[in-house]
Amino acid sequence: MPRNDALENGELTDTSYYILLSLVEPKHGYLIMNTVEQMTDKRIQIGPASMYTTIKKLSAASLIKLYGEGEKKKKTYVITEKGRKMLESEIERKREMVRHGEEILLQLKEMGS
Amino acid sequence: MRKTKYIGSGGLAFDEEKDMERLSKYASKGWILEKFAFLGFKLRKGPSESVDYSVAYESDPDEDYFAYFEAAGWKHVCSTGNYIHIFSAPKNTTPIYTDKASIVDKYEKEKRKMADIAFPTLIFMAILFILDSLSNLSWVSDVVGTISLGLACLTLIVLVFTGLPYFGYQYKIYKLRK
Repeated sequence: MPRNDALENGELTDTSYYILLSLVEPKHGYLIMNTVEQMTDKRIQIGPASMYTTIKKLSAASLIKLYGEGEKKKKTYVITEKGRKMLESEIERKREMVRHGEEILLQLKEMGS
Repeated sequence: MRKTKYIGSGGLAFDEEKDMERLSKYASKGWILEKFAFLGFKLRKGPSESVDYSVAYESDPDEDYFAYFEAAGWKHVCSTGNYIHIFSAPKNTTPIYTDKASIVDKYEKEKRKMADIAFPTLIFMAILFILDSLSNLSWVSDVVGTISLGLACLTLIVLVFTGLPYFGYQYKIYKLRK
């Protein structure tokens, strides 16, 4: 099984985060790439090799699962319960980080005035 | 005029980027990568192309694998051992690896593969050398010594082709993690 330090630490890389976000509905890998691009205004782009390996990793960690095989054997994936929980705690973690940042910035402004 | 050309490879473990840049330069002069060749690549004369090349490692990829690349604009050029794959795409296409984690992963996998061969080979070679030196003692036949020395030389070749790439990948991972 591929090792993934970030997943073991309970942290998601940007790539994993956005793949999980776009898999709240079942999707084929190709569509995930497009969805992420649209969602982030092309700020986050996922290359095909990164996409394939990350999907394998998320699958191995049971954060996503195979939803079915569509036409031409195209595999679709969907987020699991475990993946959803991971996503929620990651959003919470990010929210806290943003709050810390905002607090500091606010202090700076108050000191300046 | 010749239709095909062979170019040597610097070894993907050490010179992957340089190799791909060279292939790209050749393509711009109309020498298009056709397939892997022994310690290098075979090119074929054709119309010049302005493309980038990239290497991906994946053993036994499924159809989805190649579908992802195609959808992203990367054309599959050739593979070796159903494991190392080269893709090409017009310049400035989104790279095939876009995050550090999966690049490190790629080299980690490669490194482990090399280690799986290199370490047993190293031990085997050590045993052969010990056998060889034992053959200087009277109770071990000289033939054993000669054979083990011969085998040891063979294992040395295997070791060079796995041990050196091992350190090559190790160095790449070190640079990425820094």
